Amino acid sequence: MNPAYRKGRVLALLGAILILIVIDHLNSPTFAFNSGQGNVQTALSQKDDSACAPCGAPCPSTRD
Amino acid sequence: MSEVAAPTSAIQSPWQVDRFVVVTALVGFALLGGLIWLETAPFMVALFAIGTVLGIALYHGAFGFTAGWRNLVVHKRGAGMRAQLLLFGVTSIVMVPLLYSGQPGLIGAVAPVGTSLVVGSFMFGLGMQLGGGCGSGTLFTVGAGNLRMIITLVFFIIGTVLGSIHLPWWLDQPGFDPVPLVASFGVTGAIVLQLVGLLLIARWVSRIERKAHGQVASDELLWKQKGQGFWRTLVTGRWPFTWAILILAAGNILTLAIGGAPWSITFAFNVWGAKALQAVGVDMGQFEFWQWEYPAMALKDSLLTNIPSVMNFGLLLGAMLAAGLANRFNEASRNKLQGRPFLAAVVGGLLLGYGARLGFGCNIGALFSGIGSASLHAWIWFACAFGGSYIGIRLRPWFRLPN
Repeated sequence: MNPAYRKGRVLALLGAILILIVIDHLNSPTFAFNSGQGNVQTALSQKDDSACAPCGAPCPSTRD
Repeated sequence: MSEVAAPTSAIQSPWQVDRFVVVTALVGFALLGGLIWLETAPFMVALFAIGTVLGIALYHGAFGFTAGWRNLVVHKRGAGMRAQLLLFGVTSIVMVPLLYSGQPGLIGAVAPVGTSLVVGSFMFGLGMQLGGGCGSGTLFTVGAGNLRMIITLVFFIIGTVLGSIHLPWWLDQPGFDPVPLVASFGVTGAIVLQLVGLLLIARWVSRIERKAHGQVASDELLWKQKGQGFWRTLVTGRWPFTWAILILAAGNILTLAIGGAPWSITFAFNVWGAKALQAVGVDMGQFEFWQWEYPAMALKDSLLTNIPSVMNFGLLLGAMLAAGLANRFNEASRNKLQGRPFLAAVVGGLLLGYGARLGFGCNIGALFSGIGSASLHAWIWFACAFGGSYIGIRLRPWFRLPN
C-alpha cells in the first residue's frame, strides 16, 4: 500500500514547528534568565492562586 | 457474531510498522525533550513525557469523547460513554483527596458558574460534532496525520483567541463564583455524590442501549482484545478501554502532582494564537484577558514553560508514534477535503475554540479535570455540551458528514 503522505512534507512541517518554538524561546524571559540576566520574572513556576479558573479569569464577584 | 476460537497466528495480519513515522516521532521527542531539559526544569520533561504517553493512550485506545457521545445518540451503543464515566469516577476517587490533602501548591480545575459557562459549553458540544473531535480528539488525530483535523485545529485556535477577547464581557453577565462540592459535602461526601451521579448516567446510558439492542455490550470492561496477543495489542493497538482509562486517569493525577494543576489542553491554543497575532504586530495587551496575570505571563514567556503547551507537544508526538506503530499515519486523509465537510471543519473549529474559552476549557480541562476536582461547573459543562452535541449530530448530514 502506498503511504498516504509525503515524507518531505511531514519533515518540513515538523521542522517549521520546531523552529517557531526555538525562535519563541530565544525571545523569552526564561532564555534571558538562563543566559545570566538577573531580575527577570519567568512563567516556569507561575501559579495564580487568586484566579477563579484555569485560564486565569477573575471571580465574577470581584468584577465591578 | 461468530465466537469460534481460532489460533491467534491464523487470524493476525503481518505486523507492519511505519518506520519513517516512528523514527521521526522519536527524533522529535528527543529533540524537544532535550530542549525542555536544557532550558526549563526536569519536572517539565516529566510532563512532556506524560503528554506523550497520553497521546499514545488516546490513539491506541481510540478514546474519543465525540464518537462516544455520537454512538449513544445515533447507534444507541453506550460503551464509549460508560468508559468516559468510568474514567471520571476512577480519577475523582484519587484526585479529590489529593487536591484537598493540604499539600501546598495544588490548584484544582474549578471555574465560575454562569452565562459564560452555559453558552460556551453548549457551543463546544456543537463544535465537537461538526469539527470531528473535542480538545484531546482534535490533537491526537492531528498527531496521527489527519489533514481535516488540522483545519479544525487552526480554526479552533482562532476561536479561542476570539473567545479570550470576548470573555470579560461574558463574565459580566449573570453568574457566580466557583462551587467546589467539597465545600458543602466534604471530601468523602463529594466523591460519593459524584460517583452516584456518574452511576445514574451510566444506568441511563445502559437503559438506552438495552431498549434498542436487547442487551448491553459491556466493551468498556474488557481487559483483553480478541484475536491479538498482549504485546501486539500494546504496541499497535487497539487497546481495550480499560487500559486507556487507567493510563488517562494516572496521567491526569500525575499531572496534578507534578505540575500543580490538573491536565488541560485549550489554554495552550489561546497562547499559540495570541503569540501568532503578536508576531504580526497585534498588541494583545490591549485586550483585558491578556492583562490578567496568568495569561499575560504565559504570553510573554517561552512556550517551553507553559505546561499545557508542553503536554500538547508530547501528545501530538505520542499520537504520531502510535499511528506509526499501527501503520496508520495519515490514513484518514486519503479523501480530499472540500465543500461542506471543509465548511464543517471551519465552523466546528471556531465553535470549539470560542466555546472552550467561554466554558473554561474542553472535555479534558473542564469536564475530566473539573469532575476530578469535584467542581459543580464540570457537571453543568457536561449537560450543556451534551445538548450542543445532540444538535451537532442532527446537523452533520447537512455537512455531508457520516453519522
